[in-house]
Amino acid sequence: MDCNIFLVGLNHRTAGVDVRERFALVDHCDEEHWALPCVDAVSEAMILSTCNRVELLAAGTGDLSGQMLTCWARAHGAQADELRPYVYIHKNLEAVRHLFSVASSLDSMVLGEPQILGQLKTAYRKAVDSHATGVILNRLLHKAFSVAKRVRTETAVASSAVSISYAAVELAKRIFGDMRSHTALLVGAGEMAELAATHLLQTGIDEILVANRTLARGQELAAQFHGRAIPFEGLAGRLTEVDIVITSTGSPEPIIRARDIRTVLKARKNRPMFFIDIAVPRDIDPDVNGLDNVYLYDIDDLKEVVEENLANRRDEAAKAAKIVNEEVESFARWLGSLDAQPTIVELIQRGERAAREELARTLKHLGPLDEQTRAALEIMVNALVRKLNHDPIMFLKGGMPGEGGAARISLVRRIFNLDKTVCSCSGKH
Amino acid sequence: MISPETSTLMTLGLYALASAAGLAGMTMRSPFWRRMGCWLALAGFACQTLMLILGFHKALPSGLSLGAYLQMLAWFILLCGLSVWLKLRQEAALLFAAPLALILFAMSTPYLSVLVQVPSSLKAPFYALHIGALFLSLGLLACAFAAGSLFLFLEGRIKSKQRMKGFWQDMPALSMLDKINACTTLTAFPLYTLGIVAGLIWARPVFGSTVSGDPKEVISIVVWLLFAVLFHNRLANGWKGRKPAQLAVFIFLLCLFSILVVNTFMETHHAFIQS
Repeated sequence: MDCNIFLVGLNHRTAGVDVRERFALVDHCDEEHWALPCVDAVSEAMILSTCNRVELLAAGTGDLSGQMLTCWARAHGAQADELRPYVYIHKNLEAVRHLFSVASSLDSMVLGEPQILGQLKTAYRKAVDSHATGVILNRLLHKAFSVAKRVRTETAVASSAVSISYAAVELAKRIFGDMRSHTALLVGAGEMAELAATHLLQTGIDEILVANRTLARGQELAAQFHGRAIPFEGLAGRLTEVDIVITSTGSPEPIIRARDIRTVLKARKNRPMFFIDIAVPRDIDPDVNGLDNVYLYDIDDLKEVVEENLANRRDEAAKAAKIVNEEVESFARWLGSLDAQPTIVELIQRGERAAREELARTLKHLGPLDEQTRAALEIMVNALVRKLNHDPIMFLKGGMPGEGGAARISLVRRIFNLDKTVCSCSGKH
Repeated sequence: MISPETSTLMTLGLYALASAAGLAGMTMRSPFWRRMGCWLALAGFACQTLMLILGFHKALPSGLSLGAYLQMLAWFILLCGLSVWLKLRQEAALLFAAPLALILFAMSTPYLSVLVQVPSSLKAPFYALHIGALFLSLGLLACAFAAGSLFLFLEGRIKSKQRMKGFWQDMPALSMLDKINACTTLTAFPLYTLGIVAGLIWARPVFGSTVSGDPKEVISIVVWLLFAVLFHNRLANGWKGRKPAQLAVFIFLLCLFSILVVNTFMETHHAFIQS
């Protein structure tokens, strides 16, 4: 292949956060501060810089990796050798495969997380705005987006919750379905409980109440979630009006007991309740889970859910990898057809030239003809040439570039004598 | 004129396709196939309805034929499944109703040739009310059974902290299943009561007494009592979740026993095949 695709990068696996910070290119990938000039051998380029990865993608002639590495290091006033130990370099189809995996979130720290696709789209937009992309990267990136979509729809790699707070909210949805008519109560102010409350807000929950030993802190939190602060002391009485309770206090003793909930359930006419106990030691008596219409999950239960979901995502990643492989092959076929493009053009030109010459000769023999007959003959000759060229062109376009692409091109060039004479087919009739 | 065998085969085919598409949709977690299952079930239902309206169904007027009985029951179950699908937007109701209708249909085919002439005593309006109201309540009860069984299974998994795998993840939330169970049983009980009362009123002139100790009457009264307990506790005591689900499942199983065993194998006024 005359044109090579190179991907040079580092990520959370190859470099620590200090190195990733040092060599980040967040400020170097817009039009004004482009780090990778599209000059010399590099004809197209794109830079992806997130908190977990920095990657430079380029297309051009020859070995581009050295030039890419030097430009990258220079953007930070460093030498390429300082960067080299942390960097991976992928060429051609391996670069394509890596990019598809990144877009599909198969290479992310949290497998299947959705942010990376948005980050990749932003990076591509910046590259397009900087006029740094061309035929190959445009096609490659659009393909990467479609691969990511296919992976998301055909596998469950991104389907289940992999954070404790999100897993709790997913469980709440399994119990209550539509969250819009339900109320949640936040007891205490732990980080994870706050995260769960944020996720609950995103589901459209009707209201969030906050009960904290320090009322001022409770009010602060309530304001954050557009909710109401209630006094910690009156907690048991307020349980009748809430459906989801998230507790994360530092209390050494349980603050909610099964006997309290029995009374609450009667007052609620048995409407279901979901308790999420993120505190250690636990805030809620485990016997609560034994009551009808009451569901209790503590931090260990939620961790188990997350672990199982992660394992499930890993299983699904194998299916996703198959999709990526299929799409790499499809992209390779397109790349292969690019190699064959000059030969295809020559083949077509040769046919058209031969058709023109033969038509002129025939018309001379036939004598004067009306315009309609002349046009019909022209159409017929051109159609004949197109039909004859169809099979060799398909032969050139088919197959992978690494699978005898050059041999196929050479064979067609020899059969049709494309490298010797301009046209040797003007013999006698 | 289309023969009863042909009309049955057409409906059976559509119900079979609906069940297969629904099953594929659930196992492959494909919304397309689930939707396809719903539309095929709707097509099967329309086909069966058309056959009934046009009178192609020779088995229908028999009244006492087990084949006709099972087919009508399938029609009512589909009707209830469709109502839940349209009203609550829950595909699961129809996808569970379709295989149930398919099973009832498949069971009905051997009995279609046994045509029993309807006695003139069975043509009274109270008899039609008796059968119509009971069939509709049975259809609703079948939906309550499906929702209740699903509720018990899913609730068990949530309580025991077991993970939902595969198509279980696409099932409705517990609250929705409880709502389906509540709606269907609360509608079914008054209909069941109406059916029983109509039957008792009609029985007096026909059999000489309102209650004759017939096995079908006894089991129907037991079902009615259990139904009344469910209805009362749902409305008055705010029963929700597991208890009403368990009771609804039990009542439906008792009804199935009543249809498949009492009507078929016992000496009763309600026997399908009478000597």
